[in-house]
Amino acid sequence: MGVEGTYPLLLALWLVPLACAIALWAFGPQLKTAAGPIGAGLVGVCFAMALFSWPEAVQRARGTIGAHITLFSWGSGFDFGLLWDPLALTWTLIITGVGFLIITYAIGYMEGDGSYPRFFAYMTFFVFAMLTLVLSDNFVGLLVGWGLVGLASFFLIGYYLERPTAVAAARKAFVLNVVGDVGIMFAIFVVVTQAGSTTYAQTFARVGQFSSSALLLVCIGLFIGCAAKSAQVPLHSWLPDAMEGPTPVSALIHAATMVTAGVYLIARCWPLWNASADARELAGAIGGLTALVGAILGCVQWDIKRILAYSTMSQIGYMIMGVGVGAYDAGVLHFLTHAFFKAQLFLGAGLVIHALADEQDVRKMGGLRKQMPFAFWAMLIGVLAICGVPPFSGFFSKDAVIYGALERGHPYLYAIGALTAAITAYYMFRLIFVAFFGPYRGNVDPSDLGIRHPELAGTPAHGAQAPHAGQAHEPHRPGAVMNVPVALLMIPTVAFGWLAIGSNSPWARFFDQLFLGGTSVETVVPPIGEGLSSALVFALVVIGFAIAYLRYGTAPARRASVERLRTESVRMPPVLANAFYFDAAIDALFVRPAQLLGRIFGGIVDPLVLDGAVRELVVIAVAFGNRFRTLQMGLLRGYALTIVIGVVCVIAYYAVVGASR
Amino acid sequence: MNGAHLLAVPLADYIGLSTVLLFIGVAGVVVRRNPLIMLMSIELMWNAANLAFLAFARAWLNNAGHIFAFLVITVAAAEAAIGLAIVVVVFHRAKFVDVDDVTLMKG
Repeated sequence: MGVEGTYPLLLALWLVPLACAIALWAFGPQLKTAAGPIGAGLVGVCFAMALFSWPEAVQRARGTIGAHITLFSWGSGFDFGLLWDPLALTWTLIITGVGFLIITYAIGYMEGDGSYPRFFAYMTFFVFAMLTLVLSDNFVGLLVGWGLVGLASFFLIGYYLERPTAVAAARKAFVLNVVGDVGIMFAIFVVVTQAGSTTYAQTFARVGQFSSSALLLVCIGLFIGCAAKSAQVPLHSWLPDAMEGPTPVSALIHAATMVTAGVYLIARCWPLWNASADARELAGAIGGLTALVGAILGCVQWDIKRILAYSTMSQIGYMIMGVGVGAYDAGVLHFLTHAFFKAQLFLGAGLVIHALADEQDVRKMGGLRKQMPFAFWAMLIGVLAICGVPPFSGFFSKDAVIYGALERGHPYLYAIGALTAAITAYYMFRLIFVAFFGPYRGNVDPSDLGIRHPELAGTPAHGAQAPHAGQAHEPHRPGAVMNVPVALLMIPTVAFGWLAIGSNSPWARFFDQLFLGGTSVETVVPPIGEGLSSALVFALVVIGFAIAYLRYGTAPARRASVERLRTESVRMPPVLANAFYFDAAIDALFVRPAQLLGRIFGGIVDPLVLDGAVRELVVIAVAFGNRFRTLQMGLLRGYALTIVIGVVCVIAYYAVVGASR
Repeated sequence: MNGAHLLAVPLADYIGLSTVLLFIGVAGVVVRRNPLIMLMSIELMWNAANLAFLAFARAWLNNAGHIFAFLVITVAAAEAAIGLAIVVVVFHRAKFVDVDDVTLMKG
């Protein structure tokens, strides 16, 4: 797979972020505020290197595509190298390109933070880990990258070390991600037994020889990894909590790149998915379910970042559904457009949060359209894109995913996808209306808004460093270093979808190279055409928008927003307030049994059985010693007498034996 | 190859003397409480063994017995040196003259 070569630019692209992370970590105290521009600049350089390496990614020779560097080998079939093909190129451009914009934004967002260089060291380390994940040419390297991005995510979610909720969220994310790592590890074990190799090239070349149960096991193991990393039901609950991290982290890691690693993995393993109909059924169903659950839960959140987190979960559900059913180009296209518009939404939300001194509860916002027109327009364009309003990019990618599911014979996934599109329009416009229209509610007593525990609702300020925590705070405008990245993200958010119009679009031609003429999953003739389907989905989106408008957007509703928000907060159905009890179920099914097991082993097995056995041995040895210690009388003459008696006995024995002979 | 007839004194007498010396030594070790006397008694037992070796060597015309006698003398000398060293060290610490007072090994 790929044309063998040395490709120094590609190697540099991979290692520069690591060097940058180490340098920022080691010399942070000396660099101080220079750390931000250095980190952002080097990631930008990586983006340029990725662009310059584009021709290598699409070069074709001897039936392969892309470039390949062999770094070292553990033996035949167990090489480690970098693979640079259209899929890796796609992800690398997003990681470094969107990453560059977000890290630049963070220069402004993190200003005045106590451990500013540490933040950028973590961010560049994340870029390195993510590049390892997507550039690796084998499953082991993938798993290493997979674990390292989990580690980077752990560091960044728990970035505000002084906040107990952030530390708990980081721990939760790490534990749930390790579940996925274990799934991938078992998949690798099965791959080794079946293919005798861990490289993609040799594994995929031998897919036909896999036994069907082994193939399904590999796919399930890999999908557990996808589900954990990409926040799919039922391993999703870490993602909303991960919003405890700084907003640029949410934008880069928990929206644009890391959480889409599952999409990458399925797209990368397309020969496996093509070969296993069961795997397609599983991934499609879980993706569709996640899209629906995320969208429903997005309707009942009050924290602006949690709304976006649930929408991320829902959109990744779309992507997993797309690549899961075999519509790889549609799923990956949705990853691309989502990376742009979701990063933009998060950065827009970050502008608001930054201006309001870390207020994240939309109930305490309102009327921000006038004070922050730029943030409003940024958010609105992002919302139009995520809702799938033509001609914004989300329209093309989401329709491709939904219609792709229908084309590949999954009408129920089509229905779920279309329904989710309507719900998405509802909750995203709810966010717009509540936060940006109506009166400013920052000075309203929290209890009048139905906020029961003001100190727990939303997220408090950056610990002790928040300058205005707890005081009424007038919105102020952020600087250009934060606005320019958001403005740049608007371009692809609006226009990127145009590259994907039609079956012979630039995007389709670019992506189809990956298959080298191989076919994807067989399709069925759908009952409705693509144009009609798009119109249907768009009609549902309009209905979702209309409901949001009637509930929050009309002039009387805006005037009565305080009462409405209070009623809605107080009368929230418990099943939604508790997010369908997923956390409670995991707690009851796994956490508490594990704790019980721990108590059994810690309280009974260890002290009584293991330690008990050792103690019993000691007691026996002591009793034995006590019984026989009196033989040692301590008298020298006694010992001598014992020897004499012994000698006499020996002589007597031989005398008797000799006499009897 | 029996050379017992060459001996001026019968072999049984040598062995009898050797046995008597041995038991005098044993009695000395078991009965006396002065460590120096005990060491002397041990020397007596060594000499009993040497006497038996030499008597058998002469009786059976086998020089291995002579060689063994030299080895026994060597070992006896080493034993005496170590034994006296122990006695001196313990005497410095405990000022004893009675081995029954040294009961550190009592269980």
